[in-house]
Amino acid sequence: MPPIPGSGLAKGLAVTLRTMTKKTVTAQYPDAQPELPPRSRGVIGLFEENCTVCMLCARECPDWCIYIDSHKETIPAAAPGGRERSRNVLDRFAIDFSLCMYCGICIEVCPFDALFWSPEFEYAETDIHELTHERDKLRDWMWTVPAPPALDPAAEEPKEIAAARKAAEKLAAAEAAPAAPEAEEGPA
Amino acid sequence: MNDALDVALRLLVVFAVFLVLPLVIGQTEHKVMAHMQGRLGPMYAGGFHGWAQLVADGVKFAQKEDVVPADADRRVFQLAPAVALLPYLLVLVAIPVGPSEGAVGQVVDAGIFFVLAVMGVGVLGSLMAGWASANKFSLLGGLRTAAQLLAYELPMLLAAASVAMAAGTVSLPGILNAFEWWWLPWQIVGALVFFIAGLAELQRPPFDMPVADSEIIFGAYTEYTGLRFALFLLAEYAGIVVLCGLTTVLFLGGWHGPFGTDGLGWVWTLLKTALLAFVVIWLRVSYPRLREDQLQKLAWTTLIPLALAQIALTGIVKVAIS
Amino acid sequence: MMLLASGHHPVHHGFLSPTGVEIAFLLVAAVTFGAAVLTVTTKQLVHAALWLVVALGGIAVEYLLLTAEFIAWVQVLIYVGSVVVLLLFGLMLTKAPIGRSPDADSGNKWAALLVALAAAGSLLWVVVDAFRTTWINLDGPGQGSTKVSGSILFRHWVLPFEALSVLLLAALVGAIVMSRKSGDTSGAPGDAPRDKEQR
Repeated sequence: MPPIPGSGLAKGLAVTLRTMTKKTVTAQYPDAQPELPPRSRGVIGLFEENCTVCMLCARECPDWCIYIDSHKETIPAAAPGGRERSRNVLDRFAIDFSLCMYCGICIEVCPFDALFWSPEFEYAETDIHELTHERDKLRDWMWTVPAPPALDPAAEEPKEIAAARKAAEKLAAAEAAPAAPEAEEGPA
Repeated sequence: MNDALDVALRLLVVFAVFLVLPLVIGQTEHKVMAHMQGRLGPMYAGGFHGWAQLVADGVKFAQKEDVVPADADRRVFQLAPAVALLPYLLVLVAIPVGPSEGAVGQVVDAGIFFVLAVMGVGVLGSLMAGWASANKFSLLGGLRTAAQLLAYELPMLLAAASVAMAAGTVSLPGILNAFEWWWLPWQIVGALVFFIAGLAELQRPPFDMPVADSEIIFGAYTEYTGLRFALFLLAEYAGIVVLCGLTTVLFLGGWHGPFGTDGLGWVWTLLKTALLAFVVIWLRVSYPRLREDQLQKLAWTTLIPLALAQIALTGIVKVAIS
Repeated sequence: MMLLASGHHPVHHGFLSPTGVEIAFLLVAAVTFGAAVLTVTTKQLVHAALWLVVALGGIAVEYLLLTAEFIAWVQVLIYVGSVVVLLLFGLMLTKAPIGRSPDADSGNKWAALLVALAAAGSLLWVVVDAFRTTWINLDGPGQGSTKVSGSILFRHWVLPFEALSVLLLAALVGAIVMSRKSGDTSGAPGDAPRDKEQR
């Protein structure tokens, strides 16, 4: 059947009218916070208790936007007669967010899980120099880091859990193995 | 003295309507357009759903610098917005809102001719602006405006003439006094032609080639800033009020309604005008801009023959029932 | 026109004690005349067209003052609304500069002035001679209202009216014939899109 002339025009009108009766999709941002997906790349939070000042993040950063200062401290021996230990203490940890390009390499390379993505995004400043955020701010952002999202039901086991389970199984097997010969030997 | 007071009062009311209704339509356009696109539109100015957005816009426009280009024809350039705006104010004076004597600014004997003539003058403002701006885009906009006016004035006049034939008078209240409900189906083609031609004359989308922003920036208004630019915009919205009011009066029976005609006739008029204004906005949101040649083709090969056919039909029915 | 109006005031007024309407008439006439003179003397082409708007509008106001309302609005509709728009449209297509056109002057202007004066004189003479004793009573029922104009036009003047409509029809047909001819040759590149659009 050939289309009725003008049916396309009517269809266009119907589309706009139907859209008008539907709920709008506008997010009223400053009044209502947006619902960001997990793993949003907002800012980088620092979990400074985990930081060993290994400087890997600062060295891997393509923009050189991470500033780290530290000094060495000597801790007295834990047990009498033991050796004194030295360790690095973090003095300053700052990220210049006017340079950062949110590549996330620092987070990837951190061997001690001290850096995390936070979905926080409202850190605009009126002066570009103030975009260099210091460790207090980075530590505060750490609190906004959400728990990692659950894995897909059919997903592979996380590496850590797999390793721990393997270790536990080995241990169990090792315990079971000596126990069995002992049990055999006992009566004999 | 009493007469002078009466005249002054009427003019004041018309002027107030002239200032308020275009803003109401503009705000409605903001909101309707937004919701038709799944948005909310202005939400801040004034607090409640951004009702004062256009007032805020007006304040902004008033603060801007009034620039006249160095090579422009100063006088003509500065005069153009007034020429564009004032005719619509004059037309409003003649549109009857209710059946009583007090519900129309001034009864004009040849009302149809008056309103159409004066509306045609408004386009002169765009032409002056287009020529005086010393800008190629403005000139193109002016050319398109003129071509569009020439094409659409004729079907508009013919459609209006059909109603005048049906009523046997060219006075606007006279037409409404003669109105019967069955005129609606009888004059429906004329009504469509009139409304579409009116849209084209106002340069409203989908007939906004003269200001097509993706092609010629903003046509004749490219060089305008501040208040003068605001006046051009106001002229566009005042034009919507006038066109919708005229279509209501000529084709939809103005103050006539299923009930309550005696006391509340003006409510019917305003209701129908508002409905038509909504349609104007609706069309803007729904349709893309026509091309210049499509526009001319629509006028000369569709609207004019339709208007002539409507006149023939009107004549036949008129002779048959008399 | 001015003489016409002065001659048409009510009987009880003398020539030197004009009514308000007559004063307004004369003032508007002066403005119209000034605009008309500027139309032909200004060196700026588009200004000439705009002054023409003022002149034509002034004539419409004169019609209004003489209670010929219908004619006044038709004057605005046809001349200001369409003819001048067409004129401006044509001007915009030319290379008319903003400011003075160097070639806006004509060597024939004295001859033109002579012809214009002769035409104005003869018109004035004809009008004065024809309407010598006719009066327009401005206070009475409108003699230029739509009803009166219509009935006069279609009762007394129906033959000239029809003759004029035939003339216009001939002009229309002529325009179509001319535009089609230039379309068929299709030699001029400017005509090609126009031709396409017509189909």
